[in-house]
This record gives sequence, C-alpha cells and structure tokens, in this order.
Amino acid sequence: MTDVTTIERTIKEYNEAVFDTDRDRALEVVHAALERGVTPEEIVFKVVLPAMDRMIKSISEAFDTSLAQQYMTAQIADSVVTEMIPGFKRAPQVGGRVVIGSAEGDLHSLGKRIVIGCLRARMIEVTDLGVNVPPERFVDEAVAHDASIIGISAMMVHTARGPNGSLGVRKILRERGLEDRIKIVVGGAPYRYDHDLYKTVQADAWAEDGVTAGGIIADLAEGVRT
Amino acid sequence: MTTGMDRLAAAIKGERSDRIPVFCNLLDQGARELGMSSQEYFSKGEHVAEAQLRMREKYGYDNVWALFYIGREAELLGCKEIMYAEDGPPSVADFVIKSNDDVSKLEVPADITDHPAFAEELNCFRMLRSEVGGSYPICAYVTSAMALPSMLMGMDKWMELLFLGPADVRDELLGKCHEFFVKETRAYREAGADLLFYSSPFGSTDVVPLEFLMSTSLPWIKKDVEAVGTPGLVYMGAMSRITNVIDLVIRETGIGAFYLSPFDDVAEAKEVVAGRALACGIFNDIKLIDWSAREIRDEVRKLIDAGKPGGRFAFGTMLMPLAIPEKSIRAMLEAAFESGSY
Repeated sequence: MTDVTTIERTIKEYNEAVFDTDRDRALEVVHAALERGVTPEEIVFKVVLPAMDRMIKSISEAFDTSLAQQYMTAQIADSVVTEMIPGFKRAPQVGGRVVIGSAEGDLHSLGKRIVIGCLRARMIEVTDLGVNVPPERFVDEAVAHDASIIGISAMMVHTARGPNGSLGVRKILRERGLEDRIKIVVGGAPYRYDHDLYKTVQADAWAEDGVTAGGIIADLAEGVRT
Repeated sequence: MTTGMDRLAAAIKGERSDRIPVFCNLLDQGARELGMSSQEYFSKGEHVAEAQLRMREKYGYDNVWALFYIGREAELLGCKEIMYAEDGPPSVADFVIKSNDDVSKLEVPADITDHPAFAEELNCFRMLRSEVGGSYPICAYVTSAMALPSMLMGMDKWMELLFLGPADVRDELLGKCHEFFVKETRAYREAGADLLFYSSPFGSTDVVPLEFLMSTSLPWIKKDVEAVGTPGLVYMGAMSRITNVIDLVIRETGIGAFYLSPFDDVAEAKEVVAGRALACGIFNDIKLIDWSAREIRDEVRKLIDAGKPGGRFAFGTMLMPLAIPEKSIRAMLEAAFESGSY
C-alpha cells in the first residue's frame, strides 16, 4: 500500500493534466507514480476512475467542463487503464458488456468515442459498431456479444427520433423477447435540447454527455447483471 | 411597408422599428415546399432560392438563406459523397482527410467561385438578390478556420490532431482552412450576402477550456476576422454557449452581432453586450415538435421579454428540424411577432 501523500500528489497532478487536456503530462504523472511505488491497481482505482467521477460531478454542478476536456479525459483514461491492466496482481473482473454505435443515417462519432473511452477505463467490454448502424445490427451484435446494453448515439433530430434509431431497436427487442436482458441507452445533441426525448424514443436511459454516459451505462450494466 | 432589412437596420442602431427582427432558419423544409426529393432539391441553386422566397413570404419572417446545408464547404474542398435523407439534412459521407498525410494534399481552390457547387450557390444568390435584395437580409454561413477541419476529417479526428498534434500538420491544416474561409467570405459578400454567420464552436468554452480558447482559438478567430473585416459578421458558437466570451470577442475583434445558444441566458448576455452589439436570442426549436401552441407562446414570450428591453435584440431559431409541424412554426412566429412588437 502506497503512502497517502504520494497517492494524493498523483491524484492532484493527474487531475490537473486531464483538465488541461494534456495527455502527455497525464502519462508522465502516471509513470512517475509507478516509479515511486504506486501500484497499477491504485492508479486505476484511486486516480483514473475518481478523476472521471470528478468530471461527472463538475458537469452536473454546471462548472466549466468543455467537450474537449471530456474527450481527453476519456482518451487518457482509456490509455492509462489499458497500460495498467497487464500489471494487475489479479486479472480484473469484466464490468459488463456493451455494444455501441451511431444510429442509422448518422455519421457522427465523437460522442460515441468519449463513451467508449470511459467504458473501457471502467473495464467494461465494448464493441464499437461504428456509424450508420441499422437497428437489426444493434440487436444481432448485442446477442452475439452477450451484451446487456445497447448504446445508440444520434446527433441529429431525425436520426434520434426516426424509426431506425432507438425506436427500431426497441421494436426488435420486444419482438424477440429480449427486453429484460438488454437495455437501451441513448445520447447526442437532440437529447440535450429535450430531456424527455429518451422516453419518446423508448430508451431506458439517456446521458447529457459522453463522460456521464460512461457512468450511467456502467451502473445499468451492473443492474442488469445482478 | 416595413421590411426585414428595415427592422435589422433599426435593431443594429439601437432604434425601434415596428418590431424586433425575427430570424427563422428553414433549410430542409424547402424540398417539401417544392415537392422534391432532398437530393433533387439541393442540386440546383434556383430550387433553394425559390423555396427560401416562398417560405419567407408564407410565414412572414425577416431573412432568407443562401445556405444549402452544413457540409457544403466540405464539397468545395473535395468531398465527393453526400448522404441525403428525406427526413433530415444531408450529411458529409466521405471525409476529405482520412489520415494526417492527406493534409498536405488538401488544395484550396485558387478561385472557389469556379467550383460547380459554388456556381449553384451563386445562382441562388442571384435569384434572392433580384427578388428581395435590400428588403430582406440574405444570410450565408461561413465556418471559422478552427472549426472547418471537423467537416473535413470528423470532429473526433480533429480533436485528436488539435490536442495531440503533430503541431506542424495541425498548423498547416488551420492555415489552409483560414485561406478557404477568407476566399469564401469574400465570394459570399461579392455575391450579395448581407449577413455572414461565423460559426466558431472552438470559440465557446462549452467546446474548449478557456485557457485553450485564449491561447489557440482566439488568435485564429482574430486572424479570420482581421482578414475579412467585421461588416455583416455574426458570431455564433454553433449552438454552444457564448455569453462568457462576448466581451472578449467584442474587444479583440470588433464583431457587432452575436447569435446566442438556446442555453445562453439572454438577459445575462444582454448585460455583457451592454449596448455594444446586437444580440439574437435563440429559441429551442427542437421542443416545437412536441409543444402545444400555448407552451410555444409562453416560451417565446419569456425569451423576448428577457432580451427586448434596451433594444439591439433579435429573435432567432436554430436550424429547424423537419419534424416540426407547420402549425407550430406559425405559432412560434405569431408569438414572436406579437411579443416583439414595439
């Protein structure tokens, strides 16, 4: 167990680097901490994941957190956790399985990438289906990967509300009797302008931003498993 | 008869007209108006102009657009594939820059008005100018140098290059995008654009941290604006909030009009502007899809009541989704005309 001061210093320096969107400095902080005796497990569970939670808290309290900071938080967290896992004393338990993609007709991918980075950092297995994904494929891939969550990103009103987005996925889940096993989480610009839209499109949950989505999906995946 | 241009001119000067200017941004609705598929509609500048004129006449708002769709700029820079939809806007389906190596190959046309896509825009301008030139502001959309790469390579790849480098590739791309911005803006002015909506999402702290905005975005914004001058430029964060940068942008660039985000607090933005510029409060038009006429009226009134005192204020929308029923467009506009009256 590393002493409290070393951990606290690492947390402070890592958080500053992440908020400054400085990936190289964040990685330097992590590598210096490892040299000082901080374990890979401590890096992940005491530094990286709390930094993501801190960002979620900042967003929910309307502090200044930009899209770029969210993107870099996700990318940095993903890189650090990927690098730390081989050094774990025991292989970490998979926190759930998720398939994620952009709705049919939607070619945007930034939000999805933020979510994927955050989920991987939380040790959730993510299958990225890419962009312009038809509803059948969301469901087929979820079944093939034994995923409990389908994440659907939509940046345009017609791809969020249309019959080939979340509504189409819901229809197929219902027809195949999969609704208890697989939940739908949606996100993207239209949901930020209309907080009830996720109900209109028959999703189980939504998130205001990619980093928060990581937390919501992780919690939902845990709920479906237990 | 008072025209949209009269209303805008009065609002800019801080004077009163019959009412505040009302900007309503209907783009994709044009195809429906002319009974055409999206692809057919956007293939000709005459179609776009005719629909813009018809819709302005039908609803009575104060502006017309020469913008076909966001993504048109990517075509002028080499994008070969646009994905059309019958229930929404077209999207860029092929990124011109697929890897950092493509940046050096990107060519800004010596004269963008030679491009076939631009020729259609010129046709659109020509028709708009001959029908409503001088009476209703003709609007064009120009993407800032710092935001244009997101249309050429995708937002995530651009974020990666912007924040992680290589710096020389990033700067080369920004230089080319600035060059394009300058040519495009000059060409639009020449064609008859009265207002140039300067899309600057990287000039919003919703998108980048303030420190980055000051150190990296602001110099490029200044470079853009200094190269083309401020006449007709309207600063917008592409629907990201801008209240906290308005003072900075006024002081550093002299831009005299701001198109806010629906998430900006209009009264607060007016306070920051402090009579130095025109502020346009933006209605959250996505809610029009489901709101009742009463809800629409109440929300429009709330927005205008917050922004109208002290003048130099306009009412505006985002790019209105196709799913909004016609009766709701009318309800919003009737409420804006009524609440915006002097």
